[in-house]
Amino acid sequence: MKTPKKVDKKKSRTPPRVNENDTNRLMRGIGVSGGVGIGQAVVIERLTTEICPKRILSPEEVPHEISRFEGAVEAAAERIKSIKKHIGPHHPLGDHAYILDTHILLLKDKMFYEGTKKAINAERQNAEWAVSEIMMRITSAFDTIEDEYLKERARDIHFVGERVLRVLMGISTESKIHQLPPNSIIVSHDLSPADTAQIKRECVLGFAIDMGGRTSHTAIMARSLKIPAITGLESISRQVQTGDTIVIDGSTGVVIVNPDPDMIFRYRERQELYKKYQQSLMAYGQLPAVTRDGSRSVRISANIELVDEMEIARSHGAEGIGLFRTEYLFLGRPDLPSEEEQFEVYRQILKGNAPNPVTIRTLDIGGDKIAISVSTSQETNPAMGLRAIRLCLNRTDIFRTQLRAILRAAVYGDCRLLIPMVSCLTELVTTKQLLEEVKRELGSDGIPFARQLKIGILVEVPSAVAIADLLAKEVDFFSIGTNDLIQYSLAIDRVNEHVNYLYDTLHPAILRLIRQVVSAGQAGGIPVSMCGEMAGDPVNIPILLGLGIDELSMNALAIPMVKKLIRAISMDECRELTWQAFQMYEAREIHGLLESWITERFPKDYFIDQS
Amino acid sequence: MILESEIMERTLKVSNQLGLHARVATMMVQAMQNYSCQVTLVKDGVEVDARSVLGLLLLAATPGSELLVRAHGPDSRQAIQEISRLIQDEDPEEG
Repeated sequence: MKTPKKVDKKKSRTPPRVNENDTNRLMRGIGVSGGVGIGQAVVIERLTTEICPKRILSPEEVPHEISRFEGAVEAAAERIKSIKKHIGPHHPLGDHAYILDTHILLLKDKMFYEGTKKAINAERQNAEWAVSEIMMRITSAFDTIEDEYLKERARDIHFVGERVLRVLMGISTESKIHQLPPNSIIVSHDLSPADTAQIKRECVLGFAIDMGGRTSHTAIMARSLKIPAITGLESISRQVQTGDTIVIDGSTGVVIVNPDPDMIFRYRERQELYKKYQQSLMAYGQLPAVTRDGSRSVRISANIELVDEMEIARSHGAEGIGLFRTEYLFLGRPDLPSEEEQFEVYRQILKGNAPNPVTIRTLDIGGDKIAISVSTSQETNPAMGLRAIRLCLNRTDIFRTQLRAILRAAVYGDCRLLIPMVSCLTELVTTKQLLEEVKRELGSDGIPFARQLKIGILVEVPSAVAIADLLAKEVDFFSIGTNDLIQYSLAIDRVNEHVNYLYDTLHPAILRLIRQVVSAGQAGGIPVSMCGEMAGDPVNIPILLGLGIDELSMNALAIPMVKKLIRAISMDECRELTWQAFQMYEAREIHGLLESWITERFPKDYFIDQS
Repeated sequence: MILESEIMERTLKVSNQLGLHARVATMMVQAMQNYSCQVTLVKDGVEVDARSVLGLLLLAATPGSELLVRAHGPDSRQAIQEISRLIQDEDPEEG
């Protein structure tokens, strides 16, 4: 194991840093299912339509080609049916297995089935060519859909078309997935539900996939099977060969190809730790986050966006919801959610968490994402454009509806209203006026609502930090949104690969901004919470406590670890580390400080990220 | 021969949680195999066959969207009722 002394000063807390030569080649994706897998890559190849043979048929070949296509569809359908028969009701795909029925229907879907036959007939394309053309046409029709889930269904037609192509081209429809050797790590461009349904759990140690994100079939499946998985690796299926040894860390999204023995050794340890750790950690979730010396207690809450996430939040020990994102209600639909619909969702969240508080953030989104007539799509810099509170004050009809729904739901629990992206006092004052108007309306309509609603702002624009002393007089609480605050104050677009290396949570400027917000909050007598990613990363905890943050809201899965850590440290320790950090000139020094501290203090937890 | 007068139409609001997603579309196509009438769904001027999963998915009918169901044939009424159950989780008012 790495000793604390050898810790690289750069951001190398996890995973161990590697050279980018032949051994220890490092790739990064999105960790979608936690844990470490070490095994042999099995590359599941997917056909691309480019390799299809293409030729123009002679007229007399057409009937034969059509029946060849029909036969291939039959064979593909039979195959999917037999997979379906084998998986049974207790398969981990479980409920999700309906997707195989969808695939069977897709094979005979008019658009695909008749479309292909028509192309063979009219264009005299050979079957492979016709199939790939139709697949492409259908797939591109899905591109225009806004809804992320529906958009992903383009992949289903792809899987189905590919199955037909395999039959046509005489390639075995049995991918290697059927006969995996033990200790396999499945590497693929994409996995179809039919592929994943055939996996023998005991042979698979992990998934490393080019495509997809947290909601892809593979991700859902991997989590339910508790197999480590990484998606979004872009080109791993082309870079890795079957038989290569690879290590995947589903907690951090790191893949290491051809690891040397030292690296394997390190990850074996990490793997062991991960297992034991997972077992022991959950208990901490249910304990209060009080420092070891008993002098400070912090509320730990969860960031969520769906009613369904309440259970995970609770089971991991959240003491309320520190950030309920309301955007999900507005996304991917042709209309706006009604007051009743919003009310029902907010009521469920508030009631489900009572007596613990729930902080509801009002719509934090650009106008281009939702169903309204304000066209903001021409904005060249949407991050600084008409969004969040700016959009809400521009479209008060939308905002009023949301405020009405929140005020009504607030009767059912401890509700706090959080206003995103406030950059000046006027926005806050206008919002409060609007809130009062809405209250009067509800009052005169005789509709029950919460008269005393706590209102706070999301401090994420640098100007809000600069006038935090003024804002503190107007609100009941501050919540620091670190993700945007870092982007805006360091002038870094996080998704721009040329500059995102500059994005740094522990930049001395960021720590000073946080300190300024906390001081303003304390001077104004209001609590300060933090709800960005920074709050859920254990390494930052001593500084956040040292600075005096009152509540930390994070991804629910991070809660047990954060609570464990808080319970093990003292405020003296936090203050000392904070003081030291403020003597430092560069982010990497601060990383070094905190990493050395955490490896020394928590050697057993050091390699374990929240996952 | 189907007469013009036998065409039935009904406007429905998609009110189930996920909208007309893959699972509902699959169930709808499977259910429609049991009927002999022609059934189409119309949204924003686009008309698709209720027996085409792809067509249904491409409607992108998210929760809250309005659909016109159009059926003609002997069992139109029952088919429309079945569809409204699938996208609304309940039977609508007759109309």
